[in-house]
Amino acid sequence: MTPNPILGCGIGLRFQHIDQILAEKPPIPWLEILADNYLTPGSVQQDYALEIAEYYPVTLHGVGMSLGASDPFNETYFQRLKALADRIQPAWISDHLCWTSAHGWVSHDLLPLPYTEATIKHVVQRIREAQDRLERRLVIENVSSYLQYQQSSLTEWEFITAVAEEADCKILLDVNNIYVSAFNHDFDPCKYLDSIPIERVQQFHLAGYEDKGTHLLDTHGAKVSDPVWGLYALALKRFGALPTLIEWDNQIPSLEELLAETHKAMETQIYAFA
Amino acid sequence: MPLLELQQRLISAIFQRDQLAAAANLVKTQGRLNSEQRVGIYRNSAHGILLDYLESLYPVSLELVGTEFFGRAAHNFIDQAPPTSPFLAEYGVGFAEHLAQLPALQELMWIVEVTQLEWARHAAWHTVNQASSDFTQLETLSAQEQAELRFQLPHSAQLLSSTAPIHSIWLAHQTEPYADKLSFEEIDLQTAEQVLIFREHRHLHQISLNHDDAAFLKAVQNQATMNELAEQFAEQLPWLFSIALQNAWLTGFTTTQPV
Ligand SMILES: [Fe+2]
Repeated sequence: MTPNPILGCGIGLRFQHIDQILAEKPPIPWLEILADNYLTPGSVQQDYALEIAEYYPVTLHGVGMSLGASDPFNETYFQRLKALADRIQPAWISDHLCWTSAHGWVSHDLLPLPYTEATIKHVVQRIREAQDRLERRLVIENVSSYLQYQQSSLTEWEFITAVAEEADCKILLDVNNIYVSAFNHDFDPCKYLDSIPIERVQQFHLAGYEDKGTHLLDTHGAKVSDPVWGLYALALKRFGALPTLIEWDNQIPSLEELLAETHKAMETQIYAFA
Repeated sequence: MPLLELQQRLISAIFQRDQLAAAANLVKTQGRLNSEQRVGIYRNSAHGILLDYLESLYPVSLELVGTEFFGRAAHNFIDQAPPTSPFLAEYGVGFAEHLAQLPALQELMWIVEVTQLEWARHAAWHTVNQASSDFTQLETLSAQEQAELRFQLPHSAQLLSSTAPIHSIWLAHQTEPYADKLSFEEIDLQTAEQVLIFREHRHLHQISLNHDDAAFLKAVQNQATMNELAEQFAEQLPWLFSIALQNAWLTGFTTTQPV
């Protein structure tokens, strides 16, 4: 089975919308399935994911690989993810350049890594192993961050570029995350974009943040903000009209409102190349 | 510092408030936030993700105790029992027992019973599919097989025996117009209820059982043989069976001794 092409602007599949999508089959170019919620074989959840994949091109997006962790990989997680991917045949699988677990505890949050040469070595080896286990090339996403470690000696863009080059994986550029981290750590987001190798980037993410006064918080709970649309236009010019996905996880809106954001992304693409 | 140690320090700060300072040593102070505040953002964010999840798991309990009380109880629960699995749906078992320890709820154990019901719903929903039932082979059993004949509830079945009317309370907090729904004020909190929850395809059933049906399903769950059921329920048995079969409360049978 050849994976379906991923083109244009899609949405992240959220449980609240599944029944409506399956009943009405609205024209959505593609869907990103949050793999972690659908991994149990024979579960009603996985049945939903399989049914969605019958009608729409899909990618699988995870938060649980914990690629940057020092704990051993969770065997069950990888077995189930591989099994789901073999059934669904997603166009690609993505997860984050971060860690989520340590000490046997799982934070279910995306925690930043120290940007050092030693970390690059560690993460590259982990991504290679994950790619071998999944028998697929991975797509890794930049996360939002609220802290910088004392020991970090590289910028985030130097770090993600080195990791992607050495692990030979692709990059999912989350434009909102770049903007949030740029504000929180006072760097120039355009410089970040300009430093990422063009051919490594596979996909964009867009989402909304919340302004906390002292920092921006990546809540995925609002519309994409104006400055992020602006940064997205710049990203399109540099990397081309790559597949783009709207993420919305808190105060989830109606499917119609969510799809309206995808239309806005398509308009931005048209203007960017007009 | 090795990555392992750095990560252990940060995750300790996420799940133990008194570890914030140790993790803050790893972090730069920049802009308007000091290093401890920056680690605190992660503590809040990880707790926030888990709190949202627990609220989605226990919506009626949340309404009964209020957002503030629920939040405090949840934060303590998260610190005492951080998740250990990447499968989030496995998290949150034991929250009812955590509530049961709280002094404020000692006279309100019916709320804890509602929390148990909400976990049972979650567990039933996440139980994996089973093959559809087939009772046609029942007619061909030998006498020896008949002696060992036992019935099975759905794999997802959760049979709850509570001192409070948990099904009625749960219904009263739903927005959908269920037929047997009463308003919360109409419910007598002293009435015990027996509740069956199970999943059939994409539908979660929740039924308040009458005394006889509950006793019958309990006996089936305890692996009573056909002969034992006949002894316990006498002439009522055919009626109990037909009700259970009509409602898909039984999904199979075995003719071998349980292990
Ligand atoms: Fe993202």
